[in-house]
Amino acid sequence: MAAPMKSVACLIRGTCFLQNAILHDTRFMPRACTHLQITRGRRRTCRPPSWFVRTRTKSHHLNQQELTAENKGFLTEYVEDFYTKKFEETSPLKDGPWERHEWHSHTFRTGVLAVKIGVIPQWDNQGRKFHTTLLQVLDNHVIRYVPPPVFEQSPAFKSHWRNRNGPKYGSVVVGALSCDPQLFTKEYNNLFTEAGVPPKRKLTRFIVTPNAAVQPGTPLFATHFKVGDYVDVQAKTIGHGFQGVVKRWGFKGGPASHGTTKWHRRPGSMGGGREKSGVWKGKKMPGHMGMDWRTLRGLKIWRINTKYNVLYVHGPCIPGPNHCYVRIMDTTLFYRKQAMEDQPPYMPTFFPEDTGDSDLPEEIVDEKLFSFKEPSIRYEEEASTTKKAKR
Amino acid sequence: MLRIPIKVTARKLPHAGGRGSGPQGRINKMRKLVTALIRHERIEGQYQWVDEARGYAERLILEAQRNGDTHKGTMEMADYWLLEKDLVHKLFKVLVPRYTNYPASFTQLWSLGETFPGRPVPMAVLELKGNPWPPVVPKERDQRNSLVNILLDQARKDYRQQKYESIAALELNKQSEQQTSNIDDSSASTS
Amino acid sequence: MNFSLFCSALVVPCRFSNTLATKLVERHRKSKLASHTREEAETKDTTVLTAPRDYKFVYPEFLPDPTWWKRDRIREKLEREDMMRRRSVIEIPEFYVGTVMAVESSDKYAPGKKNRFVGICIQRGGHGLRAGFTLRNVIDGQGVEVQYDLYNPTIIRLEVLKLEKRLDDELLYLRDAPQEYSTVPFDMEPVVLPPGIAVPINTMKVKLGPRPWHERWERQELKGVEDLGLPERFYKRAAEVAKPWQKHDLMRDYRLAINEDETEEIMTDVYGKMQGIETQQKLRRRQGPGPAK
Repeated sequence: MAAPMKSVACLIRGTCFLQNAILHDTRFMPRACTHLQITRGRRRTCRPPSWFVRTRTKSHHLNQQELTAENKGFLTEYVEDFYTKKFEETSPLKDGPWERHEWHSHTFRTGVLAVKIGVIPQWDNQGRKFHTTLLQVLDNHVIRYVPPPVFEQSPAFKSHWRNRNGPKYGSVVVGALSCDPQLFTKEYNNLFTEAGVPPKRKLTRFIVTPNAAVQPGTPLFATHFKVGDYVDVQAKTIGHGFQGVVKRWGFKGGPASHGTTKWHRRPGSMGGGREKSGVWKGKKMPGHMGMDWRTLRGLKIWRINTKYNVLYVHGPCIPGPNHCYVRIMDTTLFYRKQAMEDQPPYMPTFFPEDTGDSDLPEEIVDEKLFSFKEPSIRYEEEASTTKKAKR
Repeated sequence: MLRIPIKVTARKLPHAGGRGSGPQGRINKMRKLVTALIRHERIEGQYQWVDEARGYAERLILEAQRNGDTHKGTMEMADYWLLEKDLVHKLFKVLVPRYTNYPASFTQLWSLGETFPGRPVPMAVLELKGNPWPPVVPKERDQRNSLVNILLDQARKDYRQQKYESIAALELNKQSEQQTSNIDDSSASTS
Repeated sequence: MNFSLFCSALVVPCRFSNTLATKLVERHRKSKLASHTREEAETKDTTVLTAPRDYKFVYPEFLPDPTWWKRDRIREKLEREDMMRRRSVIEIPEFYVGTVMAVESSDKYAPGKKNRFVGICIQRGGHGLRAGFTLRNVIDGQGVEVQYDLYNPTIIRLEVLKLEKRLDDELLYLRDAPQEYSTVPFDMEPVVLPPGIAVPINTMKVKLGPRPWHERWERQELKGVEDLGLPERFYKRAAEVAKPWQKHDLMRDYRLAINEDETEEIMTDVYGKMQGIETQQKLRRRQGPGPAK
């Protein structure tokens, strides 16, 4: 019996325990392309960095057309059983949670990786209309925590993250959307053995201070944030391809008629003469537009749906189209961060056990937001400042 | 709801009805293709034309199926899309009964690729399912006896057996626990 | 069930290549590998009443925006829940374009902090919480139009004074018609229809004023307008720019609307909930003036 079972384990990649045991030391583990490459401008090379782990196999390890339907079903069943049952025994969370610390204004907590699912209008309790973007936190887990001394060795570490006592920040890798390991290479699947979760479709990395270290394998929910918190949001914008200056930079172009010849959407003159001669650096020119990381800072969380793990974040213009990945983290804005001291966030993240027996309500709504269960808004008659009167 | 993949925007096909024919020419070409498909049940043509015509054919059959021949709008559509009027009878009397309780799409599209040397135009075959013609693709090879499948078959059997055994063991454990607790209760009550 | 099927039926342009396909998101939401989702598999209740086939015309705003890249099952569901909550608090009656309505809303700057406007509904649109309508009336010889959001919480009361339909989907041509066509008295008494009767269709034909107009009405196929009496060249040009092929373009219709299966699914859900809300409202009406009045 053992021989065919072993063959199955080998056929499904990333389940080779022996190899994992050998490679468990992080020095030998290949690092995934998990972080946002912070470079000035856009990274112009297609060549992956040396520590990049190839994620996708070029083709399935097994020829899927060759398999019978029963065997295909068996493979999925095996994978589901493997991750639901066997990892329950090997999960790192079993050893008990790590020590938890207090939050202070210099703390950087981890963020979550959400999916943008749409924009809907909401009203505040003064009757003012605004738009909120719905971000769903789908199946997030902490994959790895890298303490500051180790993270310092990483090629992605920035020198200004160091002070005279040494490196200030470690990193937390967060993954979203569990997948069938057959989709990925063995090297990629091995990244998840430490956390004891199925391989994730998307990985991202957040900078954290050591007091906000999170144990690998910890699930992250939408309630990682509280209603009324302010967050920074990062996402990739919609791609427009190679565009001219009119669309890319809003240049005016030329007139449509009146004898214009081949001068409708051109940029005009580029540089002057004398000592200013030549085209200056940073001149707005045609080029690739969109598909680039953008950050919005200080957006308020108006509402949280705990059933579907949905955050209602202020504003209609979170970058990217629907169903793009969005990184959400605590804001770095100074005054917003100071204000967080009144209502410190969960450290290092929200644990469902903390609420005790009582479950969280399905909808958590900010007190300034109009909840649709309330009666219509009325303004008081005599007061100069309008107030809402509940009846 | 259509059961086939569609492009989010329609192809314009500016030359479908001859150069300069415009959107009306496109629709006319589509009508010809849909009529031919319903007539012959299998047609060959440029990939982008027949792929576009596929949507119209599917939608027409779906509407006919949903609304029946007494619905005025559907009959008008059938009259418009089928240039040969005897095909209206075929649509309602042959195709609709053929596809009742049919879970998948009504048509099948086979890509033929490009011919070389020749015009570099990808060609395709569009056919109604359940047609009387011999199949486009010959019968697939039986893969059941390949090495991977045999190995996996054995592994599956072993795995299932192991699973059942563990479940049975759990059940046994539970039963024995219940019995012991019952005995304890009874002994406590008697005492 | 149909939604994921719909998603599979999309071929998406590359400018959205940084997105997940809708089908993929749906698959992950229901995946067994996802360890801590609280989303239960939806069991289809066969005992639920199915909505009448024209129910989508009664509450059109419950149908989501058909634009393919705006669709998401969970967002649409959450939006519908919000709309239902609002509807259980305030009575939002059935109305159509051409219906005479009165809207009472809170207004900070009005005397008494309240405003009441009566007018004929000339336009209705929007999906979900964005749904809205436009009322038109003539006040002191001046045409006035007010746009309202249907789910705006400052609306205190929505009242239908005369429930009827017109021949067109939009009555924007009333802007170019004489004022008597859009004048409604503010102290109009509500017209009560006998119960169980279908909504009457007003077949009145409007005689438009002379040109210039806001739009080229002769290019639109208007049913509720008398002969425009224009010179021949206008009709000639209208025939030139007309798009007669769009009438029978089945795939164009399919792409521009929510398809029938999904409509049925959504409307069945809405119908079941609206039944409960309507019975509550009837009870409240019998008990006397409710808290919203």
